[in-house]
Amino acid sequence: MSEVHTPGGAPAAGPPAGHPAGHPAGHPARSRSDRTRRFFIRVGALAAKEALHIRRDPRTLYLGLILPLVMLLLFGFGISFEIDHIPLAVSDQDHTPESRALVDDFVAANEFELVGNVPDADAATEVLAAGRSSAVLTIPQGYAESLSRGETATVGLLLDAVDVSSTQQSLARADVMAQVATGRVAAASGLMPAGGANLPLSARTWTRFNPAGRSSLYLVPGVTAYVLALVAVLLTSLAVAREWERGSMEQLFATPVGRLEIVIGKLLPYLGMGAVQVLLVLTAGAWVFGLPFRGSLPVLALASVLFMLGMLGQGLLISVITRNQMVATQASMLSAMLPSMLLSGFMFPIQNMPLPLRVFSHIVPARYYIAVLRGVLLRGNGVSELWPELLPLALFAGLMIAVSTARFQRKLA
Amino acid sequence: MRRWLVQLGAVFVKEVRQTVQDKRLVGLLTVAPFVQLLLFGFAIDLGVDQVPTVVVDMDASAESRSTVDAMLADGTLASVDHVDSVGAAEAQLEDGRAAVALVVPQDFARDLSRGTPTQVQVILDGTDPTRSGVASGAASRYLGGRGLELARQQLDRVTGGRLKLPAVEIRPRLLFNPELSSAVFMVPGIAGMLLLIITTLVTAMGLSREAEVGTLEQVRVTPLPTPLLMLGKIGPYVIVGLLDVTLAIAAGAWVFDMPLRGSMLLFYVLTAAYLLNTVGLGLLISTMSKTQQQAFIGAFVVILPAMLLSGTMTPIHAMPDWLQPITLINPLRFYLEGVRGILLKGATLSDIWVQLVVLLVYGVFILGGASLRFRKTVA
Repeated sequence: MSEVHTPGGAPAAGPPAGHPAGHPAGHPARSRSDRTRRFFIRVGALAAKEALHIRRDPRTLYLGLILPLVMLLLFGFGISFEIDHIPLAVSDQDHTPESRALVDDFVAANEFELVGNVPDADAATEVLAAGRSSAVLTIPQGYAESLSRGETATVGLLLDAVDVSSTQQSLARADVMAQVATGRVAAASGLMPAGGANLPLSARTWTRFNPAGRSSLYLVPGVTAYVLALVAVLLTSLAVAREWERGSMEQLFATPVGRLEIVIGKLLPYLGMGAVQVLLVLTAGAWVFGLPFRGSLPVLALASVLFMLGMLGQGLLISVITRNQMVATQASMLSAMLPSMLLSGFMFPIQNMPLPLRVFSHIVPARYYIAVLRGVLLRGNGVSELWPELLPLALFAGLMIAVSTARFQRKLA
Repeated sequence: MRRWLVQLGAVFVKEVRQTVQDKRLVGLLTVAPFVQLLLFGFAIDLGVDQVPTVVVDMDASAESRSTVDAMLADGTLASVDHVDSVGAAEAQLEDGRAAVALVVPQDFARDLSRGTPTQVQVILDGTDPTRSGVASGAASRYLGGRGLELARQQLDRVTGGRLKLPAVEIRPRLLFNPELSSAVFMVPGIAGMLLLIITTLVTAMGLSREAEVGTLEQVRVTPLPTPLLMLGKIGPYVIVGLLDVTLAIAAGAWVFDMPLRGSMLLFYVLTAAYLLNTVGLGLLISTMSKTQQQAFIGAFVVILPAMLLSGTMTPIHAMPDWLQPITLINPLRFYLEGVRGILLKGATLSDIWVQLVVLLVYGVFILGGASLRFRKTVA
């Protein structure tokens, strides 16, 4: 695996790659290309060692490769914002063909699902309290009669408003149902031609980018950012903290390998793993949920690398500061995974948050990465639309790598 | 019998002392849940309003302006820009500056006055389905209602008031959470989630730490019967769980105005039944892990699906049909139904006995299985 990073054929001739021995200090006649070659050999050796660690530890592999797929499926199938099959109970006190037609309107599109009948208003509240239904439609006596007189007939819809987004959708649908029912009744009375478009005024809606309103398409970018944050921050901070805990870091420093070489060698395999994850999640997303890819591939690749570099830098910084696996776990959860889930716009809209959280969300890199993913995948954006997101990602990556490498070097000097 | 109580007390006290000694653990058990509850409660607002809207008014008449104003009036849509062409509006949708475009066609006012059917075009950015759904609902609610009204006026004019257009009106009434507060919806879910994270994780990691350090071996040579040892060890975590849930509910009630409608006794009984499950899971995970790190990953593997397949965020009936039966093995699902019922809807035992029985049965089953394995590992 390391051979990729070494110039052709060279390492086989030298001493075993893991232990570059015989390194005379201050060799006078060493050429520049020779130094570069040694740099690559050492980095490659370290990266190979780290890759071996990863391969030997099934849990790391699970976290890195299986968990992203499990999360993708759980979020994609388990979380659904397009809420249909809302359980509906009916209290029909009119018992006419007209009232039954109204119930049919409600259940026709699978948005509501009939779960039973209730006799009166008291029973309706009880059914909602016990959670046996989320909505109760009450059709009063005389419903058909008032319609036949050309009046406006009012029916009641009692909603369990505990779940906010379900309720908002039920309310919106109830309005549509009223218009559908009115159109049907008016058409039946012969006073108006059938079909809503014949009203003097109506809406013509056209939904772009995600016309079927699938929440899986909305969530996959967030899952990608979350699993990257998980691997890049948690796994690197654990891997480096483990070396401190066991004292093998000191041993590494005793070798002629430079600090920068250690950092690059340690992080490289995780960068590779992150790249595999992005491909894995996006491919599985396309395959299972029909996730489109409409925009610029280079922008997506650039954003992914920048985001990963920032996260890797953060993981390194955590491990340098904590030097302890348990504390590193906690610190990673709090500083990377929680914000990437909560304050990134993954599932919860940022514009609804109170001001302090909104301000704080600007320093959460996942926020920008998710915006890039949604832009490229769903809206077909390129660099001209997305540079305001790429810029903070680059800043964060540069800052994190610089600070963590500086701390890493100082810690030992 | 008395000797057992003394032995149980001794293990219990030892376990409490050990927990209190570790400052970080005390923080993890008390402060962290509180902070997370507040953070989640404030951060999660699933309501949709002020959707950024770009307006293309190609008619530029008094009629078109008043129609647009009326569509923006209820605050669901908020105008961010006016542009001259549909192309410019679509560009704003593409780069995310606006999520809705309202296009009023040319001759809008003329068509309306002549009674020629006309349409306002609503272009939506469907990236976020909840937002586009509510936005489109708001737009068609106004336009459809106004359309019917105009039809009625037209009929009135034509027939001189002889014939009237019948109409169906649906009058919604919101129960239990009429302010549509997301925090009220989320607090019970967060409480159940935090209980799962804390009690399962702490039990699993605490016990595997003992295995790691080797103190579990030492306990083996004491004359303690295994069931007592186990009870003494999980007892403190159950109490921590009850304490945490009290904190969470109190914070929910004070900070987020969550109602407490039902019986608190029933609530605590239900919570205790749920804790049997979470602590049992922690015990089970600890018997399967050799190190704390393994226990951590094991707990993570259980907690994540439990959270996502519980109905905490979106209702279970919205999941695909094949996935819904899987949620039946999830204790969090039943706890959540019970807690939302009791606290928010004032449900009584007769409403939620199913949830309580399921939690008790699962709890006894999980804890029993875990104890058997635990006994094997210790012995």
